[in-house]
Amino acid sequence: MDIRKLGMPTTAVSMVLILLTIPMALFYAPLPQTSVSAAGEILSYIDGYEIRVAGFVTSYSVEEPTTFGPPTQHSFLLADFVDFERYEEASSQDRLDETWWTIEPLSVTFPSGGQFASQSVSISNGTNVSVFGLLTSDADGYSLHASTQSIRVGTSSAEFEITSAPLAQKIFYFHMPAAWISYVALFVTLAFSVVYLKTRRPAHDRIAYCAAELGVLFATMAILTGPIWAKEEWGVYWRWDDTKLVTTFVLWLVYMGYIMLRTAIVDPTVRARVSAVYGILGFITVPMSLLSSRIAPLMRSSHPQVIASSSGSLSPEAGLTIGIAVVAFTFLFATMLIKRVEIAESEDELEELKRSIGGED
Amino acid sequence: MADPFMAVYVAYTIVWAGVFIFIMYMYMRHRSINKSLRALKEELYGRAR
Repeated sequence: MDIRKLGMPTTAVSMVLILLTIPMALFYAPLPQTSVSAAGEILSYIDGYEIRVAGFVTSYSVEEPTTFGPPTQHSFLLADFVDFERYEEASSQDRLDETWWTIEPLSVTFPSGGQFASQSVSISNGTNVSVFGLLTSDADGYSLHASTQSIRVGTSSAEFEITSAPLAQKIFYFHMPAAWISYVALFVTLAFSVVYLKTRRPAHDRIAYCAAELGVLFATMAILTGPIWAKEEWGVYWRWDDTKLVTTFVLWLVYMGYIMLRTAIVDPTVRARVSAVYGILGFITVPMSLLSSRIAPLMRSSHPQVIASSSGSLSPEAGLTIGIAVVAFTFLFATMLIKRVEIAESEDELEELKRSIGGED
Repeated sequence: MADPFMAVYVAYTIVWAGVFIFIMYMYMRHRSINKSLRALKEELYGRAR
């Protein structure tokens, strides 16, 4: 069967699905709703610092001053990047450790210094808040530094910000499928590299190479869109201490190396053999990146899990949208791969012809 | 990004501009290769004659 005949149907299906996915992601899929209630007078900002931490409050406490003790302290425990309903459910079933190990609780204490109008503050668990401050990491976790000199807690609306429905979450509907397809593409590279080493047919090498090229393209999209989302959610574009981000970047570098390696070797047989071995060895970066959120407790990652735990957090509408987006990207990948392989065949034919002309000369 | 709308807009642009540019690149590359192939084949057939 000539795979090129599939080009038109896959193009048509991918176009229809993509045209469906964009409005679904923008208008149909709901924004993640957390319990935002009575968040009225929360605020903090620290002059000169740009980092924002967003999360929902899992606990809130006020330490009242004693005669000789410290001034009133308001403490929030923020859980980052997970939704409150799931958190509560896991908490009630006593399986918090099992399900929620990607949580990075951020304990934030605001020394009030008399400026925090405690009688007007009402914070319930699940309140979604944004806090500005200087975020640092150490062996114990993260700390948001706020000193009495630099923090000011006010009560006017101009001085606080509450993230109730992060619009940037819409990026997820294209970020995740792009990342997923890059893994699929690199798996195709692995499979056809193995097959090439067995059969030594140039057609298999071509498919492996074309899939790697597309894998790099989709990984680049995921790597570029992720930081834009991260900036909205975490307050920073990139975190070098996050396993997911770093392993995905390593994956991208490894496959950029694969492409560069191919351009550096002139002999087609040697090029195919060396790149097949590289394609097989380089695939180790795929499970590293894919499962890095799973091993987050051992290392550290705020990135949501790629392979979800048993209790999914997506609403049915969001699930349907992401499902269609993944299928759309799969068809898009298939379409692009078929076309790219076709071009690679022509490239090889051209190279062969040039070589034969060169030989005659 | 100062505005979440801008963040979504930029991210979507990156994805779809990336796909579109790559498809355009493939189309242009295919055209140029086919052109070179035709020229080379003509040259080869010319020699054969």
